[in-house]
Amino acid sequence: MEQPVMALVLGLVAVGILIWVFWPKKGLLARLGKVRMSSQRVLLEDTLKYLFDCEYKGIACNLNSAAGNLNISADQMAKLMAHLKDMGLVAFEGHNIQLTDTGKSYALRIVRVHRIWERFLADETGVQHMDWHGEADIQEHQLSLDEANRIAARMGNPAFDPHGDPIPSTEGEIPPFSGRPLSSLKEGEVAQIVHIEDEPHYIFEQLSALGLYPGMQVYQLDVQQGKITFAADGNECVLTPLFASAITVQPLPKAEPIQEGYQRLSELQPDETANIVGISSYCRGLQRRRLMDFGIVPGNSITAELRSASGDPVGYRILGTTIAIRKDQANLIFINNIKKEHHEQSA
Amino acid sequence: MMEQHKAKNTEEILGMANNLKWELGMGIHDKIVSSLYADAAQIARKTVSMDGDQPAFSLDRKIDRIVTSRWTGFPIMFVLLAVVFWVTISGANYPSGLLASLLVDTLHPILKSGADSFMPWWLSGILIDGAYLAMAWVISVMLPPMAIFFPLFTLLEDLGYLPRVAFNMDSLFRKTGAHGKQALTMSMGFGCNAAGVIAARVIDSPRERLIAIITNNFSLCNGRWPTQILIATIFIGGMVSPFWAGLVSTAAVVGVAVLGIAFSLIVSWGLSRSVLKGEASTFSLELPPYRPPRVLQTLYTSLIDRTLFVLWRAVVFAVPAGMVIWLVSNIHIGGLSLAEHFIDWSNPFGLVFGLNGVILLAYIIAIPANEIVIPTILMLTVLVTGMSGVGEGSGVMFELDSLASTENILRAGGWTLLTGINLMLFSLLHNPCSTTIYTIYKETKSAKWTLIATLLPIVLGFMVCFFTAQLWYLFA
Repeated sequence: MEQPVMALVLGLVAVGILIWVFWPKKGLLARLGKVRMSSQRVLLEDTLKYLFDCEYKGIACNLNSAAGNLNISADQMAKLMAHLKDMGLVAFEGHNIQLTDTGKSYALRIVRVHRIWERFLADETGVQHMDWHGEADIQEHQLSLDEANRIAARMGNPAFDPHGDPIPSTEGEIPPFSGRPLSSLKEGEVAQIVHIEDEPHYIFEQLSALGLYPGMQVYQLDVQQGKITFAADGNECVLTPLFASAITVQPLPKAEPIQEGYQRLSELQPDETANIVGISSYCRGLQRRRLMDFGIVPGNSITAELRSASGDPVGYRILGTTIAIRKDQANLIFINNIKKEHHEQSA
Repeated sequence: MMEQHKAKNTEEILGMANNLKWELGMGIHDKIVSSLYADAAQIARKTVSMDGDQPAFSLDRKIDRIVTSRWTGFPIMFVLLAVVFWVTISGANYPSGLLASLLVDTLHPILKSGADSFMPWWLSGILIDGAYLAMAWVISVMLPPMAIFFPLFTLLEDLGYLPRVAFNMDSLFRKTGAHGKQALTMSMGFGCNAAGVIAARVIDSPRERLIAIITNNFSLCNGRWPTQILIATIFIGGMVSPFWAGLVSTAAVVGVAVLGIAFSLIVSWGLSRSVLKGEASTFSLELPPYRPPRVLQTLYTSLIDRTLFVLWRAVVFAVPAGMVIWLVSNIHIGGLSLAEHFIDWSNPFGLVFGLNGVILLAYIIAIPANEIVIPTILMLTVLVTGMSGVGEGSGVMFELDSLASTENILRAGGWTLLTGINLMLFSLLHNPCSTTIYTIYKETKSAKWTLIATLLPIVLGFMVCFFTAQLWYLFA
């Protein structure tokens, strides 16, 4: 090549084009994929899903709330509704919109695909819990019911999605909505978190950051205007009513509130021993099974033994074996009753 | 009628099961596992007796404190690995020479003349000069270092030290989305990439295992060390005064190996954030107690399972490659051999990347084993330059005892310092040898990942060589 400058420029341009085409999320390929998505069918299906959700939770809904939920104008929504009515999927009763039986079973099929896919992402892949809902919103329009059923069968037909929502059965059955928003719980009541709403995203992100997840016990401490204080598995949390209403709980009238708080395994210092309380439900699938295989189950005791030369991971002794666990995993394991281990002296 | 009845029953039962699952809630699996452990613990309390606090365990703790300490952990690791590599390289020299003189210098002429007495010249060429010689070369270069490296490595593993290396190195690999045990498969890759790929079985997390397999090729394997050392000595050591030559060329080779580690980490990072993003990932690492290594068993398993297994695969691939090498330099079309046609045609293309047609052809036909790249390059260079008095004839691979005569051949083939540097880079960054490719396929059972593992390094190699060459042309 006679002109290296020319060649270098050409080379850089070629590398630039490759990056532009293949860059994840923002590259040409990813964009093309997104454009294919926003079709009429997707909007129709999303509307049905929204209507079903309202009916399931007993909330009245109208054109405007539906338009707001899908982020389109009321005019567009009116056209969509007319279309759905022509297809025999919805019926109008005054201002109220209701699903017909056909419409309901269509919506349940979508919900089933959505929740199975969320469960699949949570249990079988490494996709982060923040991304489950968004990915399932795309897949629910692409995956056929048959494919979803095959995936469900492979996972042993799960009954719940990772947020705690029941997955409709193949016959389109779903248990009646039970539970109340956390904001409606009275002082002194004990309940279990059964669901954390994954929409809107910023609320879900905030609640996950607080470490709240389905399966936790909550104990209402104080309800005030604009501020709700409660203990989640013994640890005190404060939320505004808006955030608290995204959490659905099931009252447990007979349960005793958990008095003692928990700490995270990552806080355990070398030569300290503690009792395992549990594993966060955001640690799922393969990872969770692996930890449980090692004996990380409620009730067993665990000792921090040695820190690696770079500080992370830390080796923990459990059931007579030393297991290295990374810090971000140890953050998802809950412990209490931390005691100093007197190992050196006794040996 | 019966069928229908049964079908309805199944549906009913499934429906009931679903309802029960909804009633039981989400935590049922955890409760089952906890109760299993509780039962197991109860049974163990009744039936197993413990003899106090084992002293072995407290010794383990003392050793662990030292080898995983912030201050002594890494130095101990580097020293141990350096010793393993040094023993391998220096220890393999003599047996390699012995094998080469036996298989190549002594046995080859005998076989050749024996075969010539009853075979047509082309058949003895294909079988003896092609197939046999390729096999002899692979065995003599590959067997001794592997027979030393693998047992040493397995001994460290058996002792219980290697899991501590993974433990110490994990934080570096975690940042790239990989598993600490990749430090082990990477080190294993310095012995042989195919063995490194097999060793990735110790990583039980699917995503991290794929990363370890795909990036293993960036570990400079045994078959490539001699190429690096030879080219560095001729072209880079040759630039400076003889006093500094040894040091400078050693630094160049180590530099290439370190560059390989850097590529391995960067590519791991890129992979875990792009194509491998959604793959399931877990981290678990058991730190087993130390124990005296079982020397005989280690020798046996590492020789049979690793060394001979890999060697056999390499030989199986080298034999047909040897035939191809002989054929392309002996089949003539219009007065020129196939090899010369290809070299003439690909030379301009090679020059854009700071290489040449001979190197490209050598890397294509020597895919089975990196060990035969240099002999093939020498043979092809002599073929195209028409030099007389060196080599053994067209299609017969050879190496020379003296560096000076090797250098003469390469210089006659138009090699410059740039060709040398880029050959070193290309030797690091090119497709894995066919043994490794086949092993990757066997391990991943996926054509897609095999293709990615094959193409990714060669695309990187061409990119790196291209920019090196063009910058060189710009400033030189």
